[in-house]
Amino acid sequence: MSVRALWIITHEKGESVAVQFSRRYPTVEHRAKFLAGSLYVTVPEDGAVLQLLLTELGLSDPDKPYMALRDDCFHQQHSPALELHVEGPGGGVLWPMLAISQGPLILACLPLVDAPAESRPPLASLFSVSQGLTLLAGLQAFLLGSKGKPDSEGLASRLAMMPFILLQVCPLGTPLDIPQPGASTAPAVPTPAGTQKQPAWKTGLHRGRAVVNVALTEMVRSMQYGNQSRQDLWDVYGTVTCKCEVEGVLPNVTVTLTLPPNGSPLLDVQVHPCVSSLDASILTATSVEDCDSSAFSGPYKFPFSPPLEPFRLCSYTSQVPVPPILGTYQLKEEDNQLCLTVSLKLHESVKNGFEYCEAHLPFFNRNQMGNVNVKVTSGQLDVSKEKNLLVWVIGQKFPKSREVSLEGAVGFSGQLPGPTDPLCTDLTAYIKLHFRVPDMTLSGCCVDQHSVQVYSSAKPRIVTSRELLSSEYYIWNSTGTAPLSSGHMML
Amino acid sequence: MSVNWPERISAFSRSPSQFLCSTTAEIFLTEILRELRDDRANDLIKVLLLSPLLEHPTLLCPSVSVGEETALELMSVFAQCSPKSLQLRCHLLLALTSVLLCSSCVTSCTSASQDFLDVLFQMTQDTNDLQAGAAVRPLRSTACDCLRELEACHPGLLSQRLELLSNLRQQENSRLHQAYTGLHALALRNAVYLLTQQKGAGAEDLKAALGSSEGFVWARGADSEFHSDMALLSPLTLGPMGRVPTLQTGPDSKELRSLISSLLEESYLLTSLSQAALLQKLVEIVSMVPAVSPTIFRAQLLRLLGTCEVCLLHSTLLMKAAFTDSLFSAEDEAYLLKRLVSLSQHPLLSTPEKLFYMDCILHFPENRPISCGDENLPVLLTPRLAAALVPTLFNDSASMLARFNLLSLVYLEEGEEDRDGQGGRGLAYLYDHLTSLLHVMENQGSREMVVTFFRASFLFLLHFCHVKCYSEDLIQRLCDMYLRQTRLAPHLINLADRIQDRLVESGWALALLRALQRSITEAPLSQLTLQDFRWHLRILARVAEEGEVPQRATLSFLLSVITSNSSVLCVSGDWRLGNGLLGVCRRLLLHPSLDSLLTPLADLLQYLTCYYGDTDIQDHARLYYTLLTTLSREKLAGVMAQGGPERGRQAKVHSLSTIMTETEELTTGLTVHQTEEPVLRLVKLDSPEPDAPEPDSKSHNEANSESNSSPRRGLEERESYRAKLQSPGFVSEITLQYHLTHTGVYDPHFDKLFSIRLHFGLTDSNYEEVSDISVPCLFRTRKPPAVKLRLKPKQPYPTTLRASAVFTTEDGLSWHSSLADLHVTFPEVFLPLPGPLGWTREQKNGVFEEIWSEISSVASKGDLDNGATSLFCDQLDNWAVDKLVRNFQRYRISDCSELDKGGCKVLFFLPPQSHVLLRVLTVEENVQVHIATDNWKLLPYINSYLEDITKDLHTAQVNSDG
Repeated sequence: MSVRALWIITHEKGESVAVQFSRRYPTVEHRAKFLAGSLYVTVPEDGAVLQLLLTELGLSDPDKPYMALRDDCFHQQHSPALELHVEGPGGGVLWPMLAISQGPLILACLPLVDAPAESRPPLASLFSVSQGLTLLAGLQAFLLGSKGKPDSEGLASRLAMMPFILLQVCPLGTPLDIPQPGASTAPAVPTPAGTQKQPAWKTGLHRGRAVVNVALTEMVRSMQYGNQSRQDLWDVYGTVTCKCEVEGVLPNVTVTLTLPPNGSPLLDVQVHPCVSSLDASILTATSVEDCDSSAFSGPYKFPFSPPLEPFRLCSYTSQVPVPPILGTYQLKEEDNQLCLTVSLKLHESVKNGFEYCEAHLPFFNRNQMGNVNVKVTSGQLDVSKEKNLLVWVIGQKFPKSREVSLEGAVGFSGQLPGPTDPLCTDLTAYIKLHFRVPDMTLSGCCVDQHSVQVYSSAKPRIVTSRELLSSEYYIWNSTGTAPLSSGHMML
Repeated sequence: MSVNWPERISAFSRSPSQFLCSTTAEIFLTEILRELRDDRANDLIKVLLLSPLLEHPTLLCPSVSVGEETALELMSVFAQCSPKSLQLRCHLLLALTSVLLCSSCVTSCTSASQDFLDVLFQMTQDTNDLQAGAAVRPLRSTACDCLRELEACHPGLLSQRLELLSNLRQQENSRLHQAYTGLHALALRNAVYLLTQQKGAGAEDLKAALGSSEGFVWARGADSEFHSDMALLSPLTLGPMGRVPTLQTGPDSKELRSLISSLLEESYLLTSLSQAALLQKLVEIVSMVPAVSPTIFRAQLLRLLGTCEVCLLHSTLLMKAAFTDSLFSAEDEAYLLKRLVSLSQHPLLSTPEKLFYMDCILHFPENRPISCGDENLPVLLTPRLAAALVPTLFNDSASMLARFNLLSLVYLEEGEEDRDGQGGRGLAYLYDHLTSLLHVMENQGSREMVVTFFRASFLFLLHFCHVKCYSEDLIQRLCDMYLRQTRLAPHLINLADRIQDRLVESGWALALLRALQRSITEAPLSQLTLQDFRWHLRILARVAEEGEVPQRATLSFLLSVITSNSSVLCVSGDWRLGNGLLGVCRRLLLHPSLDSLLTPLADLLQYLTCYYGDTDIQDHARLYYTLLTTLSREKLAGVMAQGGPERGRQAKVHSLSTIMTETEELTTGLTVHQTEEPVLRLVKLDSPEPDAPEPDSKSHNEANSESNSSPRRGLEERESYRAKLQSPGFVSEITLQYHLTHTGVYDPHFDKLFSIRLHFGLTDSNYEEVSDISVPCLFRTRKPPAVKLRLKPKQPYPTTLRASAVFTTEDGLSWHSSLADLHVTFPEVFLPLPGPLGWTREQKNGVFEEIWSEISSVASKGDLDNGATSLFCDQLDNWAVDKLVRNFQRYRISDCSELDKGGCKVLFFLPPQSHVLLRVLTVEENVQVHIATDNWKLLPYINSYLEDITKDLHTAQVNSDG
């Protein structure tokens, strides 16, 4: 359950790659040597590790179309556990090299395979793998910062903190914790040890007014084909984020989620480890099998003792009967231009009050747009600066009819070629919707302000909120062939 | 102070080996320690300075003694540190742990490691910051972790301090209780394991161990014991199949049970990572002590099943593997699997997590596994359930391939049930997906998509190659795609190679190559671009490696491309293209149907030789042409196939280097190598087979009876003999016999030699040129072959011949080796009187007498033309004389009985035309050898010859007398 070494690498689309930080754990290596015996493979120096890792990730030599080492079809990556083929004396296969990457960051670590070396154990049987993955994900979140995207300055300063971060979370190769997003080198003033055991995940104690903030965010995904042979798909997933400022070493808070009558049950419920107990009925429903109507549908009680930082209390998925916006999209190629017909209908159950609602109509594998002769019944139409995207700003409200439409023709007489996309060729095209509806959820799930219970001396202020956001909301042109997004309907 | 430490340290960490090239580990270590003691250096620099010791202690402290000294230094730095330098002190503890463990100081139980352990232990006893205050809490936490690492590397070290550790853990109320819990749990696990290894240990021993508060157990560190028991270091092989050692305590294990309960109750207070690690240790302990029921975990189960943390869910899965149905009901199992499926595609999880969960499905710990092995699907994973994981075009590459693999396994049965038909709907979906991928890839798909498509194809074929309708359709699609996207040739070749490797029985790869060959050769030439042609050559070269694929189409395609009027190929003389062409030709030279390809291939090579615009290519083509037209099939194959198939496969990858290796191989194959030392020698055979049959006893008798025949008759014979002597075809050769054998030089490479050709060179002009001798083979293990060397003297003098051999070794290489010089001695030139076969002794005697008298008469006249007589005397006893005469056995004309009468007559014929006649007489104690020869130049040789043999006789006589 330890890692032998750890690397932090940055790159820009495969170019200017560099090891920014690395850490070796010689005492773990000492154990690895004993366990592997004659099959022991030395961890090479950073430069060599980097090269091998890039090859495995398919990032090495980006200008070469084919490299046997990198592109062999036999070589099935069992990501996230990679094999590094170390050459030379003491060489062999280093496995399982865990690597996760996001944007310009690649993080990798080599967990100790604490099993007899003769035969390779399945990845799933190695405890150190999930430890390594958790550590890497934690470090990644820390390095990327709150925005989820690193600015070079912020990244550099956080990289400089790595020795001190590792002293806390992984001093000798055994991961103990993950860094807190806002961690700093200066150790927080420690809270004196009291009579009650303080949770190890709680960095300090809150003093002052008690405030509990519970935010429920639902995301809706959809694939609409406008085609008899292809069933439209949509689903919803939600998260409940809490920020609890409550006094006490181990204060008790309970948040209850409720569904409206006849609401479809919450599926795939996952909870934060600070949740102290769970009812079995909350967990039973999953999205991968048909729900039965008698299934448990709340109330969903989550008793927990909060950490100081904001955290995701729980998440769920849900299958709602209708999509919030139903759309059709039709394209026809006529006289060197595309005739567009779009209509969008807001479902009556959805609150007609958006923070924003936009429909994006991108065009790929064509020249830039020339004349755009398009009319909309509501909202306004913009052509993007790059002249390959129509942005239809529908605004805060649909009209009374709850229907909007767009009609017209677009010519592609521009001089410059627009962006390419391997999926959207010929008449394969889509509209992507972006919207946010405050104070509503599709599943009907809500956190009642009065249902939040805090067992502490002072009466807390309780703030709850909810919102519906679009995510991957696509309406495909029904006159083209649209790619499938799920095999469910086929099988 | 001029040293830029940050730069130096980072240079060291980047590449320790390179850094230590410019200095030594010893010097570097000394510098680091000196700087650490320097009060002027700030803490940040000192922390940095510790990193080489922290990360590479074995490089800097290669031995116990250096480790010990370094540790002592670090301890004194630690002692002198300002209490405020928390970071530095923490790092010092870590560095000390690394140094002491890695330089085997702990194993050797050195005093520094004992002191260090005491220091650590002392620090950890300050629970709840009672003495040092909360400010030094990080130091205490680090000390706990150092102890934990020491126990991890030397299991059992703390096994006699369990009670103390337990108390410390319970007392601590700050966040540090996590560190104590980790330490306690590990020590407990190791202690219980050690008890299971103790014979007859039971409840009492366990109780004693739990209540122990003695010293450290150093003996455990002994390396031999350490080595033998890997289970101490690794988690016990868990699961129903693994064997877990058990500790039989009877029902009484209350203390342990309550200890585990209290640990579990507080587990909620630990971070997810530490919680998972604790659970893992407790699972091991419970599986070793049957008295504690696994249901002790039940209270935690729901919390764990609902968790969003990958490490906690994973430890639940491992718990299931360990306890199966004693903790998890069938419903739990079904639920857990559904949970894994839904997590594997959950929109909120990261890709690595989803992939890991998919791997967990493939290795799902079932309560009642049907089979064990790699990647078995759990029985409960129905196609319906798995449908949630079908691959789609929206997946990233890694997820898509993982899903493709998983679903292939799910639909494997569909493929099996319906071998010749359509397969099921699931299979149809997978194939549809593959073709959509192909479509996407063709539409300017990125390199990653291309690789993904080929990997997916490989997976599909691996599982469903036998479903004809799909595998055949795929070939067609790949061929169509190839003509549009010829740049994908390397991928196609790779796919064919891999399928051929993995599915040896299946002919799919062959069918693909055949179809590609057809597509290439049948496509209209007018549309062929230079770039396409380059790729075509790669494909055709690969096709040409297949003996079962006819190659005529390839050749006629190549011929028509390069000879077509519009073709500028030859004129342009592109070197790489030319090599592509030659690459195909090279493989065709090895093709089993080469005989039928001879003419077109020769045409192609000749055309390249004459018209290709690059000299190097011309030369190569000429070489190939020469090889094709002159070498035997076997030799050709031997020359071309140098290096074996593995190297061939490797070389294919780098087309450019193939040419280089080709050239090199050819050179090796065609060059005659020189051995460093002679490996062969010729050994003279002692008793040569008689050239002519010895006169038989009958003729001997005849000779006796006719001893008084008339001299006239001798004259007659002499005349006929003389006439014969003048005739051109007369006996003019001597034959020497040798054995050809290995010299003493032993080299297994030369054990088996073939096609040996021996060549002899003259050192004087007395002999005609010697023709070469061929020996088919020579094996070290077999009888050496006999070799007959025929010499044709011009003058019958002794001579020396230079000898050498050219031969082939087993690996097809040709070698040249010189042999030791061959000395032809004077007596080796002797032949018996070459009269007609039927001549009686009498007739021979007549000739002897005739020649003798002729020479004597000429000599007495003083008319020295060529003839000469001489006399040789020596003192020999009868025995020696007998021996002497026996030397002349083959050449004797008369019996030894005549020694004292007319003398024993001996005639040596020396080709081409010389004679030496001897009459050996014994006169009293002396032996007289009267010599007559028709070639006076031979006299010195005769003299030394006689001297040699009489000398031998004297020596022999002395020896026998002595």
